[in-house]
Amino acid sequence: MTTPTKTLDVCGKICPYPDMDTMTTLKKMEKGEVLEVLLDYPLSVERIPRNLKKQKHKLLEVEKLNGPNHRMLIEAHGLKE
Amino acid sequence: MTIALLSGLLIGILFGFALQRGRFCMNSAIRDTILMKDNTLLKSVGIAVLVQMFGFPLLSWAGLITLNPKPLFWGAILVGGIAFGIGMVLAGGCASGVTYRVGEGVVAALSAVIGLAAAGTITAMGFLKPIKDYLQTNTKIAIGDGLSPTLANIFGLPYEVTALLLALVLGAIWLVVALKNKEDDEEPKASLKDRIFVKGWGWLPTGIAIGIVGILAYWTSASAGRNYPLAITSGWITFVKKYIVAVPDVKIGWDAWLIVGIIVGALIASLIAGEFKVRWPGWGTILQTLFGGLLMGFGAVTAAGCNVTHILSGLPQLSIGSLLASISIALGAWLMAWLIFVRPQNEK
Repeated sequence: MTTPTKTLDVCGKICPYPDMDTMTTLKKMEKGEVLEVLLDYPLSVERIPRNLKKQKHKLLEVEKLNGPNHRMLIEAHGLKE
Repeated sequence: MTIALLSGLLIGILFGFALQRGRFCMNSAIRDTILMKDNTLLKSVGIAVLVQMFGFPLLSWAGLITLNPKPLFWGAILVGGIAFGIGMVLAGGCASGVTYRVGEGVVAALSAVIGLAAAGTITAMGFLKPIKDYLQTNTKIAIGDGLSPTLANIFGLPYEVTALLLALVLGAIWLVVALKNKEDDEEPKASLKDRIFVKGWGWLPTGIAIGIVGILAYWTSASAGRNYPLAITSGWITFVKKYIVAVPDVKIGWDAWLIVGIIVGALIASLIAGEFKVRWPGWGTILQTLFGGLLMGFGAVTAAGCNVTHILSGLPQLSIGSLLASISIALGAWLMAWLIFVRPQNEK
């Protein structure tokens, strides 16, 4: 199992903060580092994977937890360089 | 409660269910075009408008509704629309968006609707009323005997034929463009039951469902004596008038039952999908969405309609006022999204 480099908890946040916080955090990470995102906003669970493709970050895993809670593992593309 | 008003509740439940399953929010739809370069929800909105543009003329021909396009008071619509657009970005949802999210357990949406209802009432009958009245009276453009201008009547054309032809032309253009830019959407592999009740709906079924709800809403609302399509703000204002300001003789009408239905429908949908959760966002967010809601309430009453009235219900009636309002709402939303999301990113 992949160990995340960093964890971002955006539970309870309103639209579009779950997406924005995820993207800005990924931007600051080195290539290959893994971000763990904890979220509970249904639209973002569907929208983040769509937008990751455009940014070339790699979605490693989406795990459904209790209720609307999800855990995502994303490998950063390293846009920082 | 008569049978007629019960239809408001039932339509609301259908509407709330579809809004929750489709994550249908016009704030996201408009904002995401510049923020995430994502048009998915905007396509849903477009489909919903098109479906109603086919449905309203048929209802009108059948004598089931009388068209009721919004007036063109350009000053009120510009000011109100832009205020509403700014407000909905701060509130994290449009009028229908924050209403259905109350049923999902989003506390920030509840503070947004409190702001919407409060400022809506203050603009309708309180100290902001003179501003609204001034703008609405002094910038009004009507044609003929005080008719609200539409894309049909300014050319002397009948509404029904014009709307149907326009819907056909727009639909055909859309189809051609869509076929040219065919996206390879990954089909979700799931049973039909899961696709309806558990997974989020795609943009196309969502748009069609919302469009059909809109048609049924106009029909049943007109049968209940309220010759008017889907709307959100007026229903919320009714509750404040009746239970907080205690205005005598205020009745809980079709539009207020619609609001109750939306929350119940979204609650049912989110419970079935396992997406209900009371989400507490912290006081900072609560204050932000409350302020956003206040701007939305002022904007919606000043412009004589929120995103639902003008975009979802007004565009299919070809109202020029609603067209201007839709543009104003988008401008306000883009301005605010640029200020608080796009610009800070570029500066880093």
